[in-house]
Amino acid sequence: MDELIKQLKEEIIDVLNLEEVTPADIDENAPLFGDGLGLDSIDALELIVLMEKNYGIRLTDPAQGKEIFKSVAVMADYISKNRKK
Amino acid sequence: MKLTHPVYISAATQISIQQPLSEEWINAPVMPEGLYNEAIDPLFKEWLSAGEARRLGKIMKRAVATSAVAMNRSGIDNPDAIITATGLGCVKNTELFLTDLCNNGEQLLKPTQFMQSTHNTIGSLIAILNKCHGYNVTYANGDISAETALLDAATQMQLGDIKTALVGAHDEMTPCYYTLLERIGYYGVKGMVTSGETAVSLMLTDEKNDSAICRISDITVLHKASDSKIADTLTKTGEASCIIAGFNGKAETDLLYKSLIERHYPDSTVLQYKNLFGENMTSSALGIYAAVSILKHGRFPSAMYVAGPTGKSIDSIICLNISGNNIGIVKLTAL
Repeated sequence: MDELIKQLKEEIIDVLNLEEVTPADIDENAPLFGDGLGLDSIDALELIVLMEKNYGIRLTDPAQGKEIFKSVAVMADYISKNRKK
Repeated sequence: MKLTHPVYISAATQISIQQPLSEEWINAPVMPEGLYNEAIDPLFKEWLSAGEARRLGKIMKRAVATSAVAMNRSGIDNPDAIITATGLGCVKNTELFLTDLCNNGEQLLKPTQFMQSTHNTIGSLIAILNKCHGYNVTYANGDISAETALLDAATQMQLGDIKTALVGAHDEMTPCYYTLLERIGYYGVKGMVTSGETAVSLMLTDEKNDSAICRISDITVLHKASDSKIADTLTKTGEASCIIAGFNGKAETDLLYKSLIERHYPDSTVLQYKNLFGENMTSSALGIYAAVSILKHGRFPSAMYVAGPTGKSIDSIICLNISGNNIGIVKLTAL
């Protein structure tokens, strides 16, 4: 799981162009939206694309995203249980 | 079109292959090497936070920075109109978007690249960031886009519809697109100047404020013009002490400039700018910017000199842009 969390942090930094952020700056338990990384709705779309492209997970219900994108740790947990790639 | 109602340029700035947001090129221009050169970028964090900047392509960041500097220097923070010229728009994002489209079977496309792959993203971003809710139009008229955008602003000032306009010209280049344009002979012809990137912002006002630098006295855009129409238009535009022409090292184009200038402006000082700023679809805006700077400082770098008298004071400049049988003519007059 630690390896997946590290990989996920790197992918998030890359896909969201978080130029001044390093994986160490991201607390895997902090919220991705609002306070934590301060992501917004466009970032949510980018994360949906990331999940499908890199892990073969297709989110059809946008409400699912709210739960899955709570934090990097929650995302990693969901990916580890549902990944097809 | 002769402008009967005055139109002034109150600020002009650029990001290009010369020093950014600076007029240092007049004293010590960067002499570009090779055929492909990207713009020299300033640090954008003065105008955009890391959060705001992270989604924006270079063309957008450059547009934001030049617009902010033009607004600041002119003291106008909410222009009546934002008018943008771009030949290719946000071509880097377009390229990334199309590459994903091909590689992923038209699936899994990134929203940010999609949003930033349209031409009018540039003008709308400037409007959103500066809360300018007025007239906002983008012209993508190939090599003649910059003059068309200026013509729109000036025409609306003649009609009394607007009093201030932020006119921008923005283009970026990618190695891939350069190669495509090279194949059709737009770039890379033997003896030709380098490619370049353009970000120019001009603030136009219909009143002479404290920051006014010069006046636009004539703007004409000709499409598919005959030789006689061109000759007639240049005669009507009148004389000028200096001509800034878009010589780019292509024999055919340069010959056309030379013959028109010899016939119509035999006594004018003739200057070039593409040897310093490079060639791209809105590089004529850099010619206009250079003209504004020359009128402001009263001198030009020796690298721009082509022909004609030297040492004479320059009080009017005609910027001549020829692209096939499309022609843009902008006449600037010192105050």
